[in-house]
Amino acid sequence: MITLSLNNLISRFIFLVALLLFVSGGFVVAQADPITVQARLVLGTSKEQKGKTEVPDTIRKRLAKVFKWMKYYELRSRRLSIGDGATKTAKLSKTSKIEVSNRKNGRIAVSLFSEGKMLVQKSQTLRSGSYMVLAGESGTDSAWFIVLSKTK
Amino acid sequence: MNENEIQLKVQALVDGELTGQEAKEWRSRLETDAGLKELHARLTAVRGLMTGAELPRTLPESGDFHWSQISKAIEREERQAKHLARPASSANWLLRWVLPLAGVACLMLLLTLLQTTKPDLGISLGSDHELELSIDDLDVMTFNTGDDAMSVVWLDYSLDLQQDEIDLWLD
Repeated sequence: MITLSLNNLISRFIFLVALLLFVSGGFVVAQADPITVQARLVLGTSKEQKGKTEVPDTIRKRLAKVFKWMKYYELRSRRLSIGDGATKTAKLSKTSKIEVSNRKNGRIAVSLFSEGKMLVQKSQTLRSGSYMVLAGESGTDSAWFIVLSKTK
Repeated sequence: MNENEIQLKVQALVDGELTGQEAKEWRSRLETDAGLKELHARLTAVRGLMTGAELPRTLPESGDFHWSQISKAIEREERQAKHLARPASSANWLLRWVLPLAGVACLMLLLTLLQTTKPDLGISLGSDHELELSIDDLDVMTFNTGDDAMSVVWLDYSLDLQQDEIDLWLD
């Protein structure tokens, strides 16, 4: 009788330990590390514009390899430190802004808003040294770029 | 009967080409017509002089040869007509359809092989990303660079780049 209750107790204990490990493991996996994202609003153009700051050379080379414009000027730049599962907003111009969310497993979600309406939301894993670019043409022979990169 | 025809009849009489009754009629006519009689005598004399004086003329080929040539030509034309009218045989069908199709297939294969090496645009499609659009009629193109170090979402949308008076970048 005593042996039976002891066995029952041990099995219950093992079950509780396993349950605790499972829950705590899942909790750890679900955690997202805080990240810092650099967001740049860039103007791409074929004409040189004095008084404007050019983008870093690594970004210029990457953009010029894909797009036709050769000059890329940084209009605005902000660094967003985003905690676990948090969302930060950055206003880019009078009418546009981005929302950056820090999701699980190194993924970020970037939403672009213009005049209060969301245009697009892109989510992907953003590694250090890689870039997420949202872009479009703006008027005569120029284009806008929002270049997001992960900083350490 | 004119003069020329009369002379030809007399010539035919001299040459013995008239039938019995006709020859008899013309002979009696010669008896009564001095002019015709004189013509008959002259033609008879000329014929007598020419008899034995004509050189023998022989055909370079026999008559049978000419007929055989004509017969062969007719047969040849008939064969050609039959050949044209005959439906295409399997060999002809092969030549008309299969060979051109095989040629086109070879050309397509060659072009395909030539295009196997894709042009290196430095971009790739598809990656670990999700895209959500809120405006239906917004044209969007998305791609990654070849080294996967830059993902691009290109929007057919002109963004207002004017800076706000109050800089509202939020940390």
